Amino acid sequence: MKNISGKLKSDLKELKKLLPAEDILTFEFSSERGLEFALVYADPISDKELLGEQVIKPLIKYEGEKKAKDIGEKLASPELRTEKSFEKLTAEILAGNPVLLWEGADEAIVAGTKKVFVRAIAEPSTDVVVKGPREGFIEDVKINTSLVRRRFKTGELKMDMVEVGRRSKTVVAVCYLDGISKPAAVEEVKKKLNSIDIDYVPDSSYLTHFLASRPFSLVKQVGTTEKPDIFCAKIAEGRVGLLVDGSPIALTVPYLLIEDFQSSEDYFVPPYRATFTRLLRLFALIVAIYLPAFYVAAQLFKLQLFPVKLLLTIAGSIRDIPFSPSLEMLLVLLVLEVLNEASIRMPKYVGMALSVVGALVLGETAVSAGFVSTPAIIIIAFSGIGLYAVPNLIEQTSVLRLVMLLVAGSVGTYGIVLVTAFVILYLVTTENFGAPLVAPFSPFVAHDLRDSLVKYNLGSLPTRPELLKSPNKRRLK
Amino acid sequence: MNKISARQIYFFLACVAPVGKLILLPAQLANFSKNDLLFPLLAHILLQAAAVFCVLLLSKKGQTLYDLMENAFGKIAAKILAGVFALFLLFAALLPILEQKLFVQNVFYDTLPTVVSFSPYFLFAAFLCAKPLGGFGRTWDILAPLAIVGLAGILLLSAPSADFGALAPAGAAGGAGFLQGARSGFAWFYDAALLIPMLGHIEYREGMAWKGALFYLLGGAFVLLFFATFYGIFQETAVNQLFAFSATSKYYEGVTTLGRIDYVFIYALALVMAFYCALPVQGSIECTLQACGRKKYLPTVLGILLSAVLFALSLILDYKFADVLQAISGTVFWLFPVFCLAVPALMLLFLIKGGRRETA
Repeated sequence: MKNISGKLKSDLKELKKLLPAEDILTFEFSSERGLEFALVYADPISDKELLGEQVIKPLIKYEGEKKAKDIGEKLASPELRTEKSFEKLTAEILAGNPVLLWEGADEAIVAGTKKVFVRAIAEPSTDVVVKGPREGFIEDVKINTSLVRRRFKTGELKMDMVEVGRRSKTVVAVCYLDGISKPAAVEEVKKKLNSIDIDYVPDSSYLTHFLASRPFSLVKQVGTTEKPDIFCAKIAEGRVGLLVDGSPIALTVPYLLIEDFQSSEDYFVPPYRATFTRLLRLFALIVAIYLPAFYVAAQLFKLQLFPVKLLLTIAGSIRDIPFSPSLEMLLVLLVLEVLNEASIRMPKYVGMALSVVGALVLGETAVSAGFVSTPAIIIIAFSGIGLYAVPNLIEQTSVLRLVMLLVAGSVGTYGIVLVTAFVILYLVTTENFGAPLVAPFSPFVAHDLRDSLVKYNLGSLPTRPELLKSPNKRRLK
Repeated sequence: MNKISARQIYFFLACVAPVGKLILLPAQLANFSKNDLLFPLLAHILLQAAAVFCVLLLSKKGQTLYDLMENAFGKIAAKILAGVFALFLLFAALLPILEQKLFVQNVFYDTLPTVVSFSPYFLFAAFLCAKPLGGFGRTWDILAPLAIVGLAGILLLSAPSADFGALAPAGAAGGAGFLQGARSGFAWFYDAALLIPMLGHIEYREGMAWKGALFYLLGGAFVLLFFATFYGIFQETAVNQLFAFSATSKYYEGVTTLGRIDYVFIYALALVMAFYCALPVQGSIECTLQACGRKKYLPTVLGILLSAVLFALSLILDYKFADVLQAISGTVFWLFPVFCLAVPALMLLFLIKGGRRETA
């Protein structure tokens, strides 16, 4: 694409041709000595106040040469660049940086007076802690990188900027610690990002599809977090992090399944407590997935699984239910999913009413009317709560629970065993960025078990996880 | 991911392999050897441990079965031998799969027809066979603790009900009882043969051969303990208890208040068994791939094909299990010692003769 000509009218005409949108404005003015200037900027995303203070005011009294260097020295903006090609100039205008042109210009000046709209840094609603830092990422990549930079006061922290998206030109910051992250993993991340040919990236979740080795997989292959402290801890272990402009959710690779059973709080409480809560999360998840399925399978195919007294109670409560056990459980599960979905989307004041409707009308009344039995409601309620013990896996585990329930209703307990076998085989053969998904359990890496489901004391974790193959293994001396 | 580590091999030998012996074999041995059932079992375990030693010693060369045969006998002979071995493994897969089918039908279901209940297994088998061998190694990392929990749980719930005095006096069944028991048990001991297709994929470690044999003996000790408990509980009626590991624990006193809590362990073992029973099929595919060359979709196609064949056989032989059992463990039992004991020993012997002996 061609460069600016130095003829102001002609250059403005060319820019207008390239950017015909109505929100791209031009402000023309002259210095007291008669030199003509023009500022081209994207109205909604350029800070006009800053522009007036830092660019227009100093230039009104400009008396020097027409060279970009001389003009630049007069401007009060700390962030200035010069560009010649129209392609780069249009990109800067669209990014919110106004472009200054003048009659006889050899280069145009780009002023970094972008208007920044950001919400306040707050605790992420998906990752609430009682102890530990409460900061969360927001949608602006610059603020997010500053949150990371604040935690690593070292030149080893690298933040390589990559643009993704033909039209959105979304900035992705690839963050890693030089000498600690495996160089091959950093290169692979950049290679994958550069190979993405998509027009628009609205959120970091779009990138996970391209970073995964099995893009159509049901299981997650890229780690996610909304908290800078977790993000930095993962980088310090040797992972590579990605901050995507416009998304509060940061990505980390390689990802291990066990990461989602760990909470940042585990590192701020005594190790025995952390171990207990991690095991509790696993237990809750297993029960949440299997309990509805086994309840149905036991009713349909294997009543012996129930203790005698419990069997009598269940028999009493299901006697008048018009549906088969599997259909009954499926209906209750679907109602729960609908309530869950609706309560997330509803405005807060309606959400309260919805909870009352869900709990009283659908629960109490459905039981009284004899549509569903009390044990089914209890089991689904427990299962629903249990899934949220590991909130980052909710998309996967809720599908798995449904699959288990369908299989249990049709093939019974052996079906559940086989689906489990499928899942095990699928998980153990999945790996991404050279790390097996279910490590350190398979392949078994004894060293890394110290911070897996069990949590050792900090003093017993002097080295980084072996699985991440960091060139610098020791983190505690 | 196509490599199997030494640790994974040990896990397989100590924890996964014993699970394949817990359904029909106890009743089978009790039928022929009565209270002396532990002796033929011990003989099989010792022989298999020796065969495992041979195979793991061979793994030091880092060559596949096909490569070893090709170096020794040439390309054509290697293809034929690998093909024959593949056929044997497919044949060896038949009994455990039929046995498992019978087990699932009788233990897990009171109402569902076996065609519905067990058919999905063949989908799983096909899926499993399409995976690389290293995937198997990784499953053993997960299955080993499950097998330990399952076996330990069953033993803990069963042992209080057992009268171990029923195993005395030793030798009551005589030599004939021992020989008949030993002969009928061959069809369940093919673990060394399962390792042969993995040659070339095993990451050899110093001392792996004898350690492997020791781990197999450790797993064998579990099996011996289970058989002793089984006979201690059922004694003369043991011969009628076809699904041994689901039967021994049901006399646990807590069943009345807790329900069949032992099913937790039974399901854990059934899960391990699902993988174990598909191993010969996977081994058969691996031998075929070595002989025919690896093409992109060949493992998947072979996995589907062989699983379909086994599914068809399971339907055809649905009501003829007793005949199949009689044929495999009686008429053609000799196939097992030939392929599972003689072949590893001969392969090792051949390499020793060729001046290529390696220390364990």
